[in-house]
Amino acid sequence: MRIRAGVLFLAGAAAASLLAGCGKGTPAAQIGFVGPLTGDQAATGLDMLHGAQLALEQARAAGEILPGYRVELVALDDSHSPAQAVSAAKRLTSNTDVIAVVGHLNSSCTKPASAVYSEARMLHVNPVSSNPEISRQGFDNFFRVCPTDDLQGPAGARFALTRLKAKRIFVIDDVTTYGRGLANEFIRSAQVQGAEIVGHEGITQGEKDFIPLLTKVKVLGPDLIYFAGMYPEAALLIKQRFELQIPAKFLGGDGLFEPTLINLAGPQAADSEVYITTLGGDIRGLPTARDFVRDFEAKYGHLGAYSSYAYEATRLVLEAVRRAGKKDRAAVLNAMKQMKSYSGILGIHTFDSRGDTTIRTIGIYTIKDGKFQFVEAVGG
Amino acid sequence: MTPGDFFFQQLLNGLTIGSIYALIALGYTMVYGIIQLINFAHGEIFMVGAYLGLAAILLIGKVHPGLNPTAGLLLTLLAAAVGGGFLGLVIERVAYRPLRQGPKLSVLITAIGVSFFLQNAVMLVFGAQDRYVPPLLQVHRWQIGSVTVTLMQVIILAVSIGLMAGLQRIVYRTGLGRAMRATAQDPLAARLMGISVDRVIAATFCIGSALAGVGGVLFGLTYSTINFHDGYLIGLKAFTAAVLGGIGNIPGAMLGGLLLGFLEAFGAAYLSTQWKNVVAFTVLVLVLLLRPRGLLGERVAERA
Repeated sequence: MRIRAGVLFLAGAAAASLLAGCGKGTPAAQIGFVGPLTGDQAATGLDMLHGAQLALEQARAAGEILPGYRVELVALDDSHSPAQAVSAAKRLTSNTDVIAVVGHLNSSCTKPASAVYSEARMLHVNPVSSNPEISRQGFDNFFRVCPTDDLQGPAGARFALTRLKAKRIFVIDDVTTYGRGLANEFIRSAQVQGAEIVGHEGITQGEKDFIPLLTKVKVLGPDLIYFAGMYPEAALLIKQRFELQIPAKFLGGDGLFEPTLINLAGPQAADSEVYITTLGGDIRGLPTARDFVRDFEAKYGHLGAYSSYAYEATRLVLEAVRRAGKKDRAAVLNAMKQMKSYSGILGIHTFDSRGDTTIRTIGIYTIKDGKFQFVEAVGG
Repeated sequence: MTPGDFFFQQLLNGLTIGSIYALIALGYTMVYGIIQLINFAHGEIFMVGAYLGLAAILLIGKVHPGLNPTAGLLLTLLAAAVGGGFLGLVIERVAYRPLRQGPKLSVLITAIGVSFFLQNAVMLVFGAQDRYVPPLLQVHRWQIGSVTVTLMQVIILAVSIGLMAGLQRIVYRTGLGRAMRATAQDPLAARLMGISVDRVIAATFCIGSALAGVGGVLFGLTYSTINFHDGYLIGLKAFTAAVLGGIGNIPGAMLGGLLLGFLEAFGAAYLSTQWKNVVAFTVLVLVLLLRPRGLLGERVAERA
């Protein structure tokens, strides 16, 4: 019995090392990646995973990251569900080979999962969950490479009032942690600046028929519709707004910044005074990101809206691992905390006491001739 | 827009989505009526129908770009109906028939499994991204007062009413329909009367799935984006519609679908969009409390 178990164990270990692709027997140190790899936001999750994979591949090519170890990425799926996000987080934290995590697209997933990583004292770098509440939970292992919605909402409101001359605004969100949070930041700021919010309603993710809602909006006659949510619903809102001939302009948050939006809404509807605020400036205009954009497009073709953030977050984790110099969660976390600043493709990050980046640029885009067109950058 | 016009506009909005719910609800109700199975994979058949429609549109665009739009629409609907019907037949034969003598629960679980299988298969074939469905027809609008009627709405109504009338004819005026009704009442007695019960059940799946396929095309053309995930929510709503009208009851499914469409539209219009599902499902609960067999009653009631 015992011998048999031993043989099985050896066979398993041999299979595992074969699977890991290293016959040399170098032990592995793993970095977790979690995002929606199946489900309704799988496409965005895959774009992010590609960013993380590219970062690791380049770091490996540049030399040994951790002496004596082969650094690997373990990708887990949260399918855009908070419950699955937590269970993925638990799987990572219970695996002693995993020393840090790059994690989660949606704020609704990042928030509960961050508590699990915090308890396990594991470095958690978040690419794009922009809800400000996440970093206010007081977890010292949490770092984030994107600006947050308490910057994005007000920046959108300023743009709406000064450049779009909006006075009466109808606000729609997708009732998620991200959407509702961003909508509230926008409303607060717009009201302070003197705009009237003529209505605020939530829609359900995955639904397609917003015609009854937009019929109501048409009757109210606002001069701007603000939407805080993701691009699949936004595309339908933009298209149905166009078909109902609603003259109001359309402004949305970074969840809309995805080329598929234009394709889904149809070129005509997309080209009708649609504006988008994004986290960070124009990635194609950043000299520091030029190589990344080239390498990414050469390898994967389509550059997703969040690929660069996942790339940046993974590079940051790898840098912390390199500086720690050993396979140890506490050492990696400590190395990250010691990092005064990090010069990445998005700019030079320093992190405040909450772990949020000091890169606070919000970009504004519009859609022209079937493409996103950069309008301006605010903050910084 | 006057309050009256607003009401009629929303009524029309509800009628449009309600007709699509009704088309799909028919499949749930027919299958339940005949073998008391809630076919959880039905929503996915609708979704596959939408993708078949997309494939047909793209194929027509390649092979015969100058085709008359009406002919294109009919071909697309036909492709989705045939494809959906065939898929229904295959699912019934492969996944449900072998379990027919087993416990009811096994078939139900299998249905959920088929639903996952179809979702993930479509994701692997067509990708996880939402897909754009190019319009077949030019956008046309008619103004009646300040109420706007679009060509797509007229098509949805015409196709749904036509198919429902056709179904009613099949069920009450043909030999197949008589066999279906007989099997629903008592499969054993039907078999003794020389009815091939297996073939009748297969035909029921085929017809219900064909309707779902057509529903998928109409849905894709109306909202112009489809996703492998779409079957879940729409399937759930169509199932609700079937229960609302009385599951197993064909006119009940039509009524339930339309009613659900109206509830959603008026919920969004006079309350708020985030409350529209609450409104719709509260009404469902109330209806079931007062009439546990649904508005028009379950067909099972006829069984002795």
